[in-house]
Amino acid sequence: MDRVQIAIAERVAEQHRHHGKAQFFWVWGVLLVITGIEVYLGYQNMEPVRMLSILMALSIVKAALIIGYFMHMKFELSRMKWITMCSLVFCLAMMCVFFPDAFRIIKYGVR
Amino acid sequence: MATTAHVHAHAAPQGFIRKYIFSLDHKVIGLQYYFLALTAVFVGMFLSLLMRIHLIWPTAQLPLIGEIKPETYLSLLTMHGTIMVFFVLTTAPQGGFGNYFLPIQIGAPDMAFPVLNMLSFWTTFVAFLVLIAAFFVAGGAPLHGWTGYAPLSALSNSGPGEQLGADLWITSIALFCVASLMGALNFITTTLDLRAKGMTLMRLPLTVWAWFITAILGLLAFGVLLSAGILLLLDRNLGTSFYVPLVVVNGQLMGHKGGSPLLWQHLFWFFGHPEVYIAILPGMGVASQLLSTFSRKPIFGYRAMVYAIVAIGLLGFMVWGHHMFMSGMSPYSAFAFSLMTMSIGVPSAIKTFNWLGTLWGAKIRLHSPMLFAIGFVSLFVSGGLSGPFLAQPVLDIPLHDTYFVVGHFHLIMGVAAIFGIFGATYYWFPKMFGRMMDENLARIHFVITLVGTYAIFMPMHYLGMAGQTRRYSQFTEVAYQTKLLPLQTFMSYAAFITIGAQLIFLFNLFWSMWKGAKASDNPWEATTLEWTTATPPPHDNFGGLTPVVNHGPYEYNVPGVSKDYVMQTDPASAPAH
Amino acid sequence: MADVAVQHSVPAAYEPSLFGTYSKKIGMWLFLLSDSLTFGALLYAYSYGRISTPNWPTPFHSSSIMNATFMTAFLLTSSLTMVLAVRASVFGHMKAVRGWLLATMACGAAFVVLHGREWSHLISEGLTLPVFPAVPGAETSKEFADVTKTVPQFPATFFGLTAMHMLHVTLGVVYLGVVALRRTFVPILLGLWLVAWLATPAYSPFHYGAHVLLIAAVVVSIILWLKPKVYDSSDIEVAGLYWHFVDLVWMFIFPLVYLMSTRII
Repeated sequence: MDRVQIAIAERVAEQHRHHGKAQFFWVWGVLLVITGIEVYLGYQNMEPVRMLSILMALSIVKAALIIGYFMHMKFELSRMKWITMCSLVFCLAMMCVFFPDAFRIIKYGVR
Repeated sequence: MATTAHVHAHAAPQGFIRKYIFSLDHKVIGLQYYFLALTAVFVGMFLSLLMRIHLIWPTAQLPLIGEIKPETYLSLLTMHGTIMVFFVLTTAPQGGFGNYFLPIQIGAPDMAFPVLNMLSFWTTFVAFLVLIAAFFVAGGAPLHGWTGYAPLSALSNSGPGEQLGADLWITSIALFCVASLMGALNFITTTLDLRAKGMTLMRLPLTVWAWFITAILGLLAFGVLLSAGILLLLDRNLGTSFYVPLVVVNGQLMGHKGGSPLLWQHLFWFFGHPEVYIAILPGMGVASQLLSTFSRKPIFGYRAMVYAIVAIGLLGFMVWGHHMFMSGMSPYSAFAFSLMTMSIGVPSAIKTFNWLGTLWGAKIRLHSPMLFAIGFVSLFVSGGLSGPFLAQPVLDIPLHDTYFVVGHFHLIMGVAAIFGIFGATYYWFPKMFGRMMDENLARIHFVITLVGTYAIFMPMHYLGMAGQTRRYSQFTEVAYQTKLLPLQTFMSYAAFITIGAQLIFLFNLFWSMWKGAKASDNPWEATTLEWTTATPPPHDNFGGLTPVVNHGPYEYNVPGVSKDYVMQTDPASAPAH
Repeated sequence: MADVAVQHSVPAAYEPSLFGTYSKKIGMWLFLLSDSLTFGALLYAYSYGRISTPNWPTPFHSSSIMNATFMTAFLLTSSLTMVLAVRASVFGHMKAVRGWLLATMACGAAFVVLHGREWSHLISEGLTLPVFPAVPGAETSKEFADVTKTVPQFPATFFGLTAMHMLHVTLGVVYLGVVALRRTFVPILLGLWLVAWLATPAYSPFHYGAHVLLIAAVVVSIILWLKPKVYDSSDIEVAGLYWHFVDLVWMFIFPLVYLMSTRII
């Protein structure tokens, strides 16, 4: 068991050696820039839902960059990529079903 | 051929503590889980006994306990539900049998993370102690039901058990979540990484598939319950109001406002519905295994069975709203949930028909494990048939707060899963302890339990349709409900007999451990890997070796083979299935 | 039956891993999946509360936003130093690894300190939970006190979410400290605990929160003395996964909690 694990770890390390340093600096730069854009947008007088969608879209881009490059997911087996990411996104997306009820509270009133 | 080498991550332990208490061996941990669940099931059963007594003799003076008060009835109900769902139905099939047999059935020497495995058991153990402690603190055990609906569960002055008892309840649940997470990621990693050569995904026994999918459900569901529990603890102790709207208790305005009880229900049932499948899926896996083994036929439609398990797991995340039709949830979501819920009938029916197809025309060996497997199918069908009623909001609304629901979920989730556990116990006992369980006692146990179960839970459907409300502690004072009391009395007597019959099982279990007939390595002539190794299996399962798998899991009565079964490790020259 | 034929081959003959990588990494990924659902549920709970509350306040002044932006930058930079640590470890440059890990921990610690300052500031201004003791001699601003009174959901979600995240960052720093320094880290951790405990006044939530470090020190000591080992590149990669995840979660908390509640001048 151990020997197999060490062999795989060695292979994974070998894979890592092929990535240049520059790539990480680029990703870091892009993340900082997106953060700057988000802060800028935070000060624009925008309708909340619209602002929320833009901010969330940018955050998802940031998350994708972090997962893809920093967490190395871009270079994993496609099987791992799809199974883990799809199950996560599926569960999170299902939770959106909570929201109609939150709106109803405002619409029909509890006060 | 066979070469020995050091393949195991950790050496065989010495000393009592390392060997039996803080053991890293998945087999010992499996047994620890099993005996924890066995303790829990008897505690839970004792609580149900008290409830059944209270329902028909509300003023009875019991020895040591005295008279059961109505609020105590609610505490009993809460603790019965919590203990049974978490510490029996989740713990025994997955933590117990899954831990013991998943690594062996895939040919692994141990789980991928043995230390995590040990921690997961001991966290579960502590969670159980914390839960039981709720009985003994001021105010007693909580009374918000196993679903812990807010705001009842979020306000410490909403009832006698809602003080420290409720905090302990939530703490216990949170610990259990953490333990289940550790267990689940261990199961998944083991199945992904440690399958023996030749053990491809489509050669996994259906038990392994069931445990694997169950672990995925656990991994994704328990995290949500954890955060729901954290928020509930904040509401109770830090004065936040996530779940509590402006509310008046005993004429006194609480300091909370702006929260939504619906949020708790959403978060809870987002976990709660997958939890139902966490309880029942391992039972389905065991039933498939047993039906095929004792019918001496390959399981009917292996691939369909696998896809059905996956489909049930997937759909399990999309239907939680059917628990909330009564909550004031948006009717549009209710409609969608209703459709998704009914579509779960499709994979469930695929499984049922495949079980029947396996039995069809077979020379069935009616050993005790097989009896329980057939009992499982029977209970699954009887309990499942009332599902489509409850899946429709129009029918659910009149039925939801009645005994109909109690009957439904006890049959399909409770007793069916318990039958899976019994079947697994009788089936794997020889492998675990090297001795056979007594067959005659097992049959008596089966007959009384099956008949008793139906006698308890079938009448509940009629009670529900007649309008008998659930969660009420006494029916003697309400005119239209007293007419139904004779049926309740009948059910209580049936429950007394059925609970008594479990003592037969307990006796059989412990008696056979010391006095049962010696078992051979493969007493049932089954094909999967656990039957290829010694009885009980050595520390690293296969004596320093890793088996090589050449066959599918259910190759019985293969044409052209002299024996009526082909072990998974038999040489490949035997005609493949 | 006795005629069971077991064919064995050489040991360690397994099917290739389905995810093509070593078990520890898969285990960490699975934990992170589950933990992202934990955080996801918290964020959904926050959004739910926000949607169902009319007139959600937007009280964060530019000083708060500025502070949070710096915190974000620190976290992003810590992620960069973390990947550089992982990269150094696959080349076997263990000294560089230690340096990058310490840099990562420094950024993480800076995040926690900035965040703690922000918390204390908000609490003294009057944005508080019922359980937090009053800050003696503090002048509450009417604005924050009003928010606490009219929309208790606001401080509840703010403190709940960020506390959960801060806990993750703190544990992440401890985790990296163990990987980088092993047993040397235990006295450092105890020192940090003493500083955090004694340097915070008794009314501050961090006065008690600091004990997380003590608990962590005990757990870490148990691990380090029961299972001593030299951490290799795979351990560093796994620790890195956890650290990036903490960063990732902040990428959602920052816009949702801070930017969506900005006071626009």
